[in-house]
Amino acid sequence: MITLIVIALALGAVGLFYMAVRARRRRAGETVRPVDLKAFRTLVDRDDEMFLKERLPRSSFSRIKRQRVAVTMRYVGRIANNASLVMGLGEAARQSPDLEVAQTAMQIVNLATQLRLQCIMALAKLSMEYAVPSLQLTPALLAPEYQKLRENVVRLGKLQSPTMAPLPIAI
Amino acid sequence: MALKSLVQMLWVVGIVCQAILGVVLVSKKGWKTFPFFTAYFAVGFTSSVFIYILQRHMKLYFYSYWLMEAIGVALGFAVVYEVFSILFSTHDALRRLATLTFRCVLALLVCIGFVVLLKHTPFSFRGITSAVVTVEESARIIEVGLLMCLFALSSAFGLHWRQQVFGVALGLGIFAAVELITVTVWGQTSNAVHEYLNVVRILGFNTSLLIWIGYLLVPERSVGKVELPQRSQLEQWNQAVMELIKQ
Repeated sequence: MITLIVIALALGAVGLFYMAVRARRRRAGETVRPVDLKAFRTLVDRDDEMFLKERLPRSSFSRIKRQRVAVTMRYVGRIANNASLVMGLGEAARQSPDLEVAQTAMQIVNLATQLRLQCIMALAKLSMEYAVPSLQLTPALLAPEYQKLRENVVRLGKLQSPTMAPLPIAI
Repeated sequence: MALKSLVQMLWVVGIVCQAILGVVLVSKKGWKTFPFFTAYFAVGFTSSVFIYILQRHMKLYFYSYWLMEAIGVALGFAVVYEVFSILFSTHDALRRLATLTFRCVLALLVCIGFVVLLKHTPFSFRGITSAVVTVEESARIIEVGLLMCLFALSSAFGLHWRQQVFGVALGLGIFAAVELITVTVWGQTSNAVHEYLNVVRILGFNTSLLIWIGYLLVPERSVGKVELPQRSQLEQWNQAVMELIKQ
């Protein structure tokens, strides 16, 4: 029995390494993807949710809530992915000989890191809401954090050369 | 007989690959970025050559082999720590959380390793080899588990692996996983199967060598050739966020 578990662990490790290689290759060609924050705001709007809860039968509400949570999770996943891309971009900009660019890049990396952590928490909370639709655990802090990150990235884009500017501005 | 020839051939190929890796590490001044990995490689290379020469002196070969294996496992842990340090060196906010998670996983893996050490079914061969193989199995469980934790953490935090760091971790991971499988099966099988397991072990090691050489040689991909969204789209997001903040 132990032998089987150990072999399964080793094979699982090989699978994980293979996925890491694939993810790294995929990420190389990845770009910052758009986030429709208006739709995101509508999805996490509690008034909307309360309205649905009052008007719909319990089973219908649960089904719709799950659909909303699933879509919200996709949005959060996209924000998390964008934050991760910005982290990579910021790390590259940290090597800049221009002190101001390097400092702004450092701020961006820190902010993107915080946002990424918040996304992990948000995804965990949303997973719980998906499991129990009557729960209300919407990540309210996520959008302001994303806005702060965006402002800093735009600032970095302005500091850097015009050829480097489009990527930071694009979030 | 043919299998022994294959083992000999793969062994020589491995030594050649190690020599190439040595040249790559020296030319790239690898000891500056990866001191533990360089030490790990140096010990591995020395032991490969030494053991190859000693293969006809059975007793000396036996003790040298297991001694080098023990040093290799210990240095393998040091390499995992090195990769962890490099990966989180630029992420102060994540380092504390990652360190805590890593320590918890380490404690759990040590417990699992200890259980395996105590509860493992009796091996088909006895004596010091049995004990050494069980200890190695436990150590490899911890090593593989830590590497899995490292890859899982980097994925969860969305970290960007630098080319060389990723190569070092991946090569070590493949090698440790293959070692774990062969060492586990080793204790349950007869001498006839051990010959085949030897082939698998050497193949696993040679694969890792090729990974290390490849990732250390290939330059880092540059970022910049990316498709970007329209600027007008960006303005729309900005407007949406501002509305959200003002609410």
